[in-house]
Amino acid sequence: MTDPVLEVRNLHLSFGALKATDDVSLTLCPGEIHALIGPNGAGKSTLIGLIAGNLAPDAGQVLLNGRDVTAQDVAARAQAGLARSFQVSAVAPGLSVLQNVALAVQGARGGSFRLFRRALSDRALTGAAMTQIDRVGLTARRTVPAGDLAHGERRRLELAMALAQAPRAFVLDEPMAGMGPDGAREMTTLLDELRHEAPILLVEHDMDAVFRLADRISVLVSGRIIASGTVAQIRANPEVQTAYLGEERLE
Amino acid sequence: MRRETLLNLVIALALLAVPLAAQALDEPFAITLATKVAILALAGVGLNIALGLGGMVSLGHAAFFGIGGYMMAVLATPVQAYEPLMTWPIELAGTKSMPLIWLGAVVAGAVGALAIGALSLRTSGVYFIMITLAFGQMLYYFAISWPAYGGEDGIAIYVRNGFPGLNTLDPLHFFALAYAVLLAALWLAHRLGGSPFGLALAGARQAPARVAALGIRPYRLKLAAFVLSGAVTALAGALYADLNRFVSPSMLSWHTSGEIMVLVILGGVGRLFGPVAGAALFILLEHFLGGISEYWQLFLGLILLGIVLFARGGLIGTLAGREVPHD
Amino acid sequence: MSAMLLIEQALNGLQYGVMLFLMAAGLTLVFGVMGLINLAHGSLYMVGAFACAGVAAVTGNFWLGLAASLAAAAAAGAIVELTVIRRLYARDHLDQVLATFALILVFSEGTRWLFGSFPLYLDIPAALAGPITLPGGIEYPLYRLVLIGIGLAVAAGLFWLIGATRLGVRIRAGEADREMIAALGVDISRLYTIVFALGAALAGLAGALVGALQSVQVGMGEPVLILAFVVIVIGGIGSIKGALVGAILVGLTDTLGRFLLPVAFGTFLPPSEATSIGAALASMLIYILMAGVLVIRPGGLFGRA
Repeated sequence: MTDPVLEVRNLHLSFGALKATDDVSLTLCPGEIHALIGPNGAGKSTLIGLIAGNLAPDAGQVLLNGRDVTAQDVAARAQAGLARSFQVSAVAPGLSVLQNVALAVQGARGGSFRLFRRALSDRALTGAAMTQIDRVGLTARRTVPAGDLAHGERRRLELAMALAQAPRAFVLDEPMAGMGPDGAREMTTLLDELRHEAPILLVEHDMDAVFRLADRISVLVSGRIIASGTVAQIRANPEVQTAYLGEERLE
Repeated sequence: MRRETLLNLVIALALLAVPLAAQALDEPFAITLATKVAILALAGVGLNIALGLGGMVSLGHAAFFGIGGYMMAVLATPVQAYEPLMTWPIELAGTKSMPLIWLGAVVAGAVGALAIGALSLRTSGVYFIMITLAFGQMLYYFAISWPAYGGEDGIAIYVRNGFPGLNTLDPLHFFALAYAVLLAALWLAHRLGGSPFGLALAGARQAPARVAALGIRPYRLKLAAFVLSGAVTALAGALYADLNRFVSPSMLSWHTSGEIMVLVILGGVGRLFGPVAGAALFILLEHFLGGISEYWQLFLGLILLGIVLFARGGLIGTLAGREVPHD
Repeated sequence: MSAMLLIEQALNGLQYGVMLFLMAAGLTLVFGVMGLINLAHGSLYMVGAFACAGVAAVTGNFWLGLAASLAAAAAAGAIVELTVIRRLYARDHLDQVLATFALILVFSEGTRWLFGSFPLYLDIPAALAGPITLPGGIEYPLYRLVLIGIGLAVAAGLFWLIGATRLGVRIRAGEADREMIAALGVDISRLYTIVFALGAALAGLAGALVGALQSVQVGMGEPVLILAFVVIVIGGIGSIKGALVGAILVGLTDTLGRFLLPVAFGTFLPPSEATSIGAALASMLIYILMAGVLVIRPGGLFGRA
């Protein structure tokens, strides 16, 4: 078995009496999509915050490429190869699609302290950005301010920005949220290709997409992982069914 | 040509035309007013780097304006008194040369902005506003209680400093200098806005969490912008001191901070020529309302209220429409 | 002798501090509940001082003046809230700064128009004039001692108001979650007007009380406003307790610094230099204190961050 790109070991985080993350361990290996599912309030966002570095755990470790990054901040983890997308699109609304993606390229390559160069006449920068914009199908919208994009387009821009970071691992927080059936289908195809670039930790509510894409699924309930396994194992797990999925959703 | 670019060109030419016409009509006071517009616009261009590009609402830019002004006094008064600037650890003479004074003002403004920015940027939002205001006030009180440069009364510089090849006592020559410096600062601000640095700064302003997740730390970016901003405003302060041949703590007062901010907003936050349009409007209001009533600031206040509540985007925003991302 | 002087200065610092608290409490409440930064808070301080001086001059009664200052500042606060401030809650801080800066211009110039540029003088009421002998034989002005008492009483009243009354429950709910109080059926816009007027009344009270120690003039509120900001930064935004601790800390630091620093420098510098250096440094001391708090706790001593 290959070494995991991203590994989480025995993470704990409490807010007062509430155990938001309770002894969570998981791995993300090259080439795979590992889905993280769970009901609302299960602690998925908290876990993503811990992985990305927005939150500091009470105990436990986060490892990227075998290196302990628990003490590092968000930017350092991003530079170490972690790309995340946000549940609520967090693109810069006043910047164009191209500028947003160029910013992501810049984040990965450095050079944010070049004061006098024209950012968008930098061929290497725009070229790399356009490649990702083409992939998510926003080529025709490249000059539009991100704030003027339709919801689904903004989700795709989020993805293009994550791609432009040329990451070692993706953490995608509900990339299909609020998308229509067509959009969700396109996104599913896109994510399916993406796994060959870098493995994906996918938090998603769209069960059809999860069952189609995931190699492994972990189920998070009340801050704990109650089950982990293949799609078939999870579908068959009675504990998961009662805790989360509900009878009718599996049929 | 985009509408805003055209408007900017018109504003730049208008500011140049006023003193030329005034010279022809023998109205030297109008030249002085135009010079004041150019210098205040320069201070505004400085603030706009922090405010417009970086989203930092600094209510303490009078600190840098005043640092620039006092730097001029520090360098020029020894010459006027036939004394050395310092004798220890090295003997250093003062100077009446504007380029050297400008260099001193820019360096002092940058150092001041580095110190104030490094502390203030540990916070954000309303804290940042209050802290920049407080540090500005600290320098104000320091200037009042430190007797070396006139304390509360300020200090006069009897002869305007010189610039190689120009007669700075000629109002038109001095205007030309201020105008050239303003254009240079506008060019700097323009290049900054379109640079990778400006892009990262815009991202940090609009989506800070996102930018961090892309591997860019907003703190250092913002601090760098704040330092540049302070340096440009300090340069304006040195010119302003030379225009009046006088420096006093009022340059450091928080009313000055408020006025620099008001003129940026009158013109349009984050718009390249916003401070120029705003400074022109501010001086016109001061001149004409001031001619009508002793209490002209009452009307200025009401006009400002109207603009904030009903005409957002300032003068440039009203005339050129919404800002568009440029490629 | 020196110890008595020190105690006297400490009392002066305490008196200064509790007056700063009256200013800072309103500001921090308005920020905590409505998320608004109000630069015009100093204008309300000035309104209180002018109302007190005006009414006291006409009636010859300081206490009527004091009542007038509370009423005038609360009324000015309510009017400003209803006409301008409530349009700013949803705006960003920049708009709030600009609009309230504009309000300062309107208030200051309007007052200058009405009362002229010359300072008014407000006399300390006869019953409170003169010194009182404290235990230990220290002579201290009675009026200043009364100010300390009033300030502490108002502080206690505020803690009671916030901690134990229905209005207080609503204020705390408003600080925690603006949507929640709407869901509870509280009329938010009325709550906001009340909170703003309350803050204004506290500022007006401070202006009137301090007005009898200094002169009453246009612009008197602005230095106090900025000190109140320093207090809030030190104490933590939205915290009444932070405002009280911060205010007393600032009052003591400033007063004792101005008293002690020249003395301290005098031990190794010639007197004239010691006085000027000591005074210059003392004028910066509270800002240095603020910088220190920022380095250690950027969210303030009692802040949530």
